Amino acid sequence: MPSMDPISRNLMLDSLREYAKRRIPFDLIRELDAKNEFPTDILKEMYDRDTLGVHLLMIPEEYGGVSGGTFDIYRVCELLARIDLGIATGVFATFLGTDPLNQGGTEEQKEKWLRRIASENLLVAYGATEPDAGSDLVNLRTRAEHVVKNGKIAGYRITGNKQWISNGGVADVHTILAMAPGGPSWFIVEKTMEGFSANKHEDKHGIRLSNTAGLSLDNVFVPAENLIGMEEGKGLLQAQAVFGYTRVMVAAFGLGAGAEAVEHAIRYSQQRIQGGGPLSEKQGYTHKLIVPNYVRLEGARAYIEYTALRLDSGEHGLQTEGAIAKYGASEWGNKAADDAIQALGGYGYTKDFPVEKIKRDIKITCIYEGTSEVLEMTIYRGRWQEHLKSRGRYYLDMADKLDQLHAEEPKVGAHASALGLRALAAVLEECRVHKLTRHQHVTFKLGKLICAAETAAIFSTAAAAQKYSETIRFDREGWQAMARVFAREAALNTAMEGLALVLGAIDSDGGLADAVNIEAIQTEQKGMIADMDLVAVKLKQTFKAK
Amino acid sequence: MNIVVCVKQVPDSTEVKINPETGHLIRAGVPSIINPYDHFALQTALELKKKHNFRVTVVSMGPPQAKSVVQLGMALGADEGILLSDMAFAGSDTWSTSYALAKAVKKIGKTDLIFCGMQAIDGDTAQTGPGVAQQLGMPQVTFCEHVEVDGRRIIARKLIDGGHEVVEARPPVLLTMIMHKDYTPRYPSFLAVNASLKKPFHVWNAADIGAEEHYLGLKGSPTKVDRIYPPPQREKAAMFTGSGQEGMAKILQIMKAEHFIE
Repeated sequence: MPSMDPISRNLMLDSLREYAKRRIPFDLIRELDAKNEFPTDILKEMYDRDTLGVHLLMIPEEYGGVSGGTFDIYRVCELLARIDLGIATGVFATFLGTDPLNQGGTEEQKEKWLRRIASENLLVAYGATEPDAGSDLVNLRTRAEHVVKNGKIAGYRITGNKQWISNGGVADVHTILAMAPGGPSWFIVEKTMEGFSANKHEDKHGIRLSNTAGLSLDNVFVPAENLIGMEEGKGLLQAQAVFGYTRVMVAAFGLGAGAEAVEHAIRYSQQRIQGGGPLSEKQGYTHKLIVPNYVRLEGARAYIEYTALRLDSGEHGLQTEGAIAKYGASEWGNKAADDAIQALGGYGYTKDFPVEKIKRDIKITCIYEGTSEVLEMTIYRGRWQEHLKSRGRYYLDMADKLDQLHAEEPKVGAHASALGLRALAAVLEECRVHKLTRHQHVTFKLGKLICAAETAAIFSTAAAAQKYSETIRFDREGWQAMARVFAREAALNTAMEGLALVLGAIDSDGGLADAVNIEAIQTEQKGMIADMDLVAVKLKQTFKAK
Repeated sequence: MNIVVCVKQVPDSTEVKINPETGHLIRAGVPSIINPYDHFALQTALELKKKHNFRVTVVSMGPPQAKSVVQLGMALGADEGILLSDMAFAGSDTWSTSYALAKAVKKIGKTDLIFCGMQAIDGDTAQTGPGVAQQLGMPQVTFCEHVEVDGRRIIARKLIDGGHEVVEARPPVLLTMIMHKDYTPRYPSFLAVNASLKKPFHVWNAADIGAEEHYLGLKGSPTKVDRIYPPPQREKAAMFTGSGQEGMAKILQIMKAEHFIE
């Protein structure tokens, strides 16, 4: 679905922001976090069509929703994460649970279930994960057996256990993945069905306002019309088809929660006087704890938006892009939140300030919807194929385009991004020649390098655009400085880490130091501190002390 | 009855700071909102609509992005939205803005009630609403906090020094609204925002409303802003704690020391 116009989207975001300000103050969040309590009434109110109806974003207009596109969903997810990642997860679980229906449901199934979810404020859960099947769904143990009546399949008997299900204990409707005789398939299971039960609510490290529970299905009878798509064996395809944008949603969580934490620190740093001046004036503070983190998150934002817009324009899949978006945003968000605690010192370590909770919450974004390590593998696999198919030209072609961009717009770090991509291409080629991808460590690490180098390229490109996205809160001068800082860091890391990786696996470097062009990348670091100074000033102007 | 509500998009003043050197507003990254008094005026009009089945039209003047406050009005229940947008309007002062809004009201047609916020939080002039009434030759009741309609009687409770005054008027009349202390601004549901896209919305330029260009924009504005500057910062206050008696003694001591009293 294409996204809506920016004015409508921003009106919805304003409504959500104002609702949260009024109904979900930090004191309440803190109390629920301490009690490990899911705020059912708040979620129901957020789903109420006359109050907010936030779940309607995922439901097409013809079934009573508002037909949100990926960009809309990214914006709402970012804001939800800024409010509370637990509540965000509760909403996300409904999005995710509705997905198999959206993707694979028949017209009748959509008419019945999507309309009910829209109008009855139903909470939904997505039941895929099992004790022995996480990202590796092939090990699925839950079974769905035919129930035959009068020679026809009247329904299924489902038996098995699900684990770590968000909304598991509170959802009205579950979409459950089970192994049918024809292969993995999705089923609609209602909580009232006999034999269905939810286990205890998990006592988690973070996102304690979200309900997470295991599910037990003991010979649950599900009528045949609840088989999504009315065809067995389509389950894994239906699940994988949406990874592109479900990962954009979790990416938006990492971005939103991470940025919220750094923004707290930026505001705090202007009031906290140490050694004769505010912390916000001290490079030892800003250039370590604030600037690099915010810059990386803006890079993640550029990549998320790039992926969301491509999905909105009708492209399908984009699994590698979704993985890059999520991996970058969640890892950088997690690091940013960790540094935000440091930036608030003793206050940051107490529960009186939100950063302590954000740090606990945000860790989940590196785990659910594909752990960071699974994503490193996904990214590597996707792009390794491109490297081989293009005979090593994939990143070189991209680098050529960035050098062209640099000639037109020299202020966006496009040259540094190009150097990073060329270094990446050299490292990949060295890995191919020496067959280094037999080491799993090498492949995962390549996934990490690819993420940063590609994000740099996208960030430089976005910073050169005539008109910036509605989400950019900085002027041109500031955002371009951020792109330059990002590109320099990414290029240096790609070259240094890539070189170290190869050297760790073979006896000699085979001239790789020249191939990655370390010298040029080092020269490109010129101006880094001045740019970081500039970014620190822009951040202070934008996130003023309250 | 037909109601017109005039609304303005303003920078969220809680986020605005002034550059002390240049005196300019630092606008980067500052979100725009509906002027809070206009939000209250809009809600008052929409409550009357609900009660009496009136027709409500929301009007704003501003750049294309000011459509946002008009659409907010429609999402909250207004029937129609109009945005006056034209480079010719840019830089209009309160007189010029009143002129354009009055022209728009004339084009809308028969109007019984016009609601405005008492003032905008960016300019704080409180002149535009009264200016519109003046241009239309319409009576006005300013600083209202409550408005009721009983047949053809408009009963408004307005704030005056030291209390309230209840005023009765006959339409057409223009009302400017202050805000209740205990009022909660309403925001639309996602569904209502989506539905507002299907309501009639028009963008009118200067020619559409038959406005004469020499009355518009910077050139047509009799007010010239000389300069804007933040007031000098107050010196830090000295704080003393203690009983009332001790406090009084301390104050007397300071006043004597500063020669305010002998």
